[in-house]
Amino acid sequence: MSLPSQAAALTANGLRHVPQRLGGSLVVVVGIAGVVAVLIPVLAMYLGFRATLRGDGRDDRAIVLSRAAEDESESSLSRDAVAVVANAPGVRRDASGEPLVSAEVILPAPVARKRDHSDVSVTMRGVGAQYFALRPELRLIAGRMFRPGNQELVVGAAARAQFEGLDIGNQVRLQDGDWTVVGVFAGGNGSRESELITDATTAMAAYKLDSFNSMTVALSSPGALAPLRERLAADARLFVVVRSEPEYLEGAASGVNRLLRLVTYAIGSIMALGALFAALNSMYAAVASRATEVATLRAIGFAAPAVAIALLAEALLLALAGAALGVALAYAGFNGVTISTLGGALFDSQLVYSLSVSVPLVAGTIGLACALGLAGGLLPAIRASRASIAEGLHEK
Amino acid sequence: MRFLPLVWAGLWRRPLRSILTAICIVIAFVLLGLLEGVNAGFARAIANAHRDFLVTNTRVRGGAPMPISAMAEIQSLPGVKEVAPRAYFMGRDRDPSLKSSIVAIATYPELFFQMLPGLRVTPAALEALRADRAGVLATPALLDARGWKVGDRITVQSMTAKIDGSTDWTFDIVGTFDTPLANAPAYFGVINYAYYDGYRASDRGTAEMFYVHIADPNRAVAMSAAIDRIFANSSHETRTRSQQARAELQAKQMGDVEFFTDAIMVAVLFTLAFLTANTLRQALHERAREFAVLKATGYSGVRVLSLAYAEALLLCLPPAALGLLIARLLAPLAKADIGAVVVSPRVAAAGLICAACLALLGAALPARSLARMPIAAALGKG
Repeated sequence: MSLPSQAAALTANGLRHVPQRLGGSLVVVVGIAGVVAVLIPVLAMYLGFRATLRGDGRDDRAIVLSRAAEDESESSLSRDAVAVVANAPGVRRDASGEPLVSAEVILPAPVARKRDHSDVSVTMRGVGAQYFALRPELRLIAGRMFRPGNQELVVGAAARAQFEGLDIGNQVRLQDGDWTVVGVFAGGNGSRESELITDATTAMAAYKLDSFNSMTVALSSPGALAPLRERLAADARLFVVVRSEPEYLEGAASGVNRLLRLVTYAIGSIMALGALFAALNSMYAAVASRATEVATLRAIGFAAPAVAIALLAEALLLALAGAALGVALAYAGFNGVTISTLGGALFDSQLVYSLSVSVPLVAGTIGLACALGLAGGLLPAIRASRASIAEGLHEK
Repeated sequence: MRFLPLVWAGLWRRPLRSILTAICIVIAFVLLGLLEGVNAGFARAIANAHRDFLVTNTRVRGGAPMPISAMAEIQSLPGVKEVAPRAYFMGRDRDPSLKSSIVAIATYPELFFQMLPGLRVTPAALEALRADRAGVLATPALLDARGWKVGDRITVQSMTAKIDGSTDWTFDIVGTFDTPLANAPAYFGVINYAYYDGYRASDRGTAEMFYVHIADPNRAVAMSAAIDRIFANSSHETRTRSQQARAELQAKQMGDVEFFTDAIMVAVLFTLAFLTANTLRQALHERAREFAVLKATGYSGVRVLSLAYAEALLLCLPPAALGLLIARLLAPLAKADIGAVVVSPRVAAAGLICAACLALLGAALPARSLARMPIAAALGKG
């Protein structure tokens, strides 16, 4: 018999006897399933958060902040600065010749989270008239747009689903009394759907503010960024920096991002290590309990490598079974669950995102499970194939 | 006959299996210790927060700050002991490579330090701040981070302009204060409200927060409502909460931390229970004959059972303790990011109880079947 067919025969034989060694085999399955079932939601949380933050970055859009400001909440732009930037070359104009820009102000709006009724805050963004033209990925899906001069809000669909009191017709208590929800917008993959929008000038009047936080401009082309940046830097009236949107989003909410990454990798690696030793343990036990069997097989002519390969294959298949179980648990429990955590545009405002048990995520964790199974099976397999036949036959 | 050496020998019959199981237990308890530490950190922040200490904010955050005159109105409420204002000073180092902001609380320092639980300052430092209008007291962590020392005169660029149009603020570092109760090092300073308010160009005569110390912690809710009632329907409506309520809120804002940590802990424990039970089952079963011999030589059934349980405990407890110890050593590494991982004696005790349960449960089934097995049958085994 050739080596592959020997290995296949031995694997089949080994698997047939799994029921007799059920405890040990289940340790591998349950151990790996535990890792996968924990790792998938934790990773999905981190990936969902990161994807939502970086969501809709386009390199033909740029964010203008005041110099030294790392994010919108720290930035402050005067009306004059906004006018200068809007008319700079390189800024795209719409059909009627108006510059495609939105000068924005961000403010916290207190809301209650539906799930636990806890008080949290979301970002209320005062935007310019061109907001939707500038962000074609967003569109109004219900109700109507706010009218400048009225204290009206249009809410993001994600925010509306996650927080109480954001349905059309609801009043939200903010500065200067109640603000009415008049519409819902949706679209894009980013953080904007976690926000409420209103007219910037109206918000600034109500909050007695005289400067904007940030400004989004559409570029005539991605290449227009560098000249625009130089030109604005050279303008003595201005104290601003321009970043392309992807560049800006990359740096946003780095604190929460770092935290989630740390937690994800810490938990993931500790659990993987634990599962590795669990797999090692039970594969060694499997080998030990079959010492006589292995020696007999080798005595009747099975090659040592075939024995090793069969053991590895068994470990791999058990790991795969565990991975399948873990994926099923994680999918049932967490797929499509929408959560909110810190991470909005203001330091304490909420970002809404959903956990998606995606194909790459599942593939990645299954890969990890296989690696764990193989690593756990390798040493015991080598030991089994090297053990002396004579001693093995004598062992009870 | 000696009991412990027998247990010990049993454990080392299959050293590889015992060691691998022990390693799994160590690893699992590192994780459990850290996760429980996160929970405990949040719980401690809430428990440390005082109920007799209220914070009054503007009702709408981001709205106009409250006039400082509101302080007198709050003070006039029966049951209020002291009130201190807070305005927030935020600035940056003039060296743009130092990105993090510099934050200071502008307040009435004497009242502030007297009222605020969890801050420790020497009378000399407080006196120095009183004597120097432009003085600042900073935490040692802030001084270290910036390379400053007491006696330095520093210039900080702020978003708040001064009346002369400049955004450069100069302070004298006159002393330090400690935050012994905080979970993480604190990076902030305390400055004189009079100096800050006297020089700022906008929002003069306002505070964005009042600290209120009340006589009776049990009246925190009623007092909060009473304060908010004073300003209801005024141009500066307020929202007052006890420090404890605020800490709870903060923990919730982070996200559903406890749900996640609990879910992971359950998964880890379940997996571990499975593994330990399996190891113990194997270890005890393959020695059925030895146990029978012990019984035949006069060991009582209870004695044999206790041998089995002792072996299980010996397998689980020391690795669990080691894992918790490692978690305790690792916890400070997470401090900068998480801020609150407390592997306290309580967390450790809970962990060890968990480990003991794990051992006893894992040993229960095989031990029972051992105890019930007739000696003759067991002697004939294997």
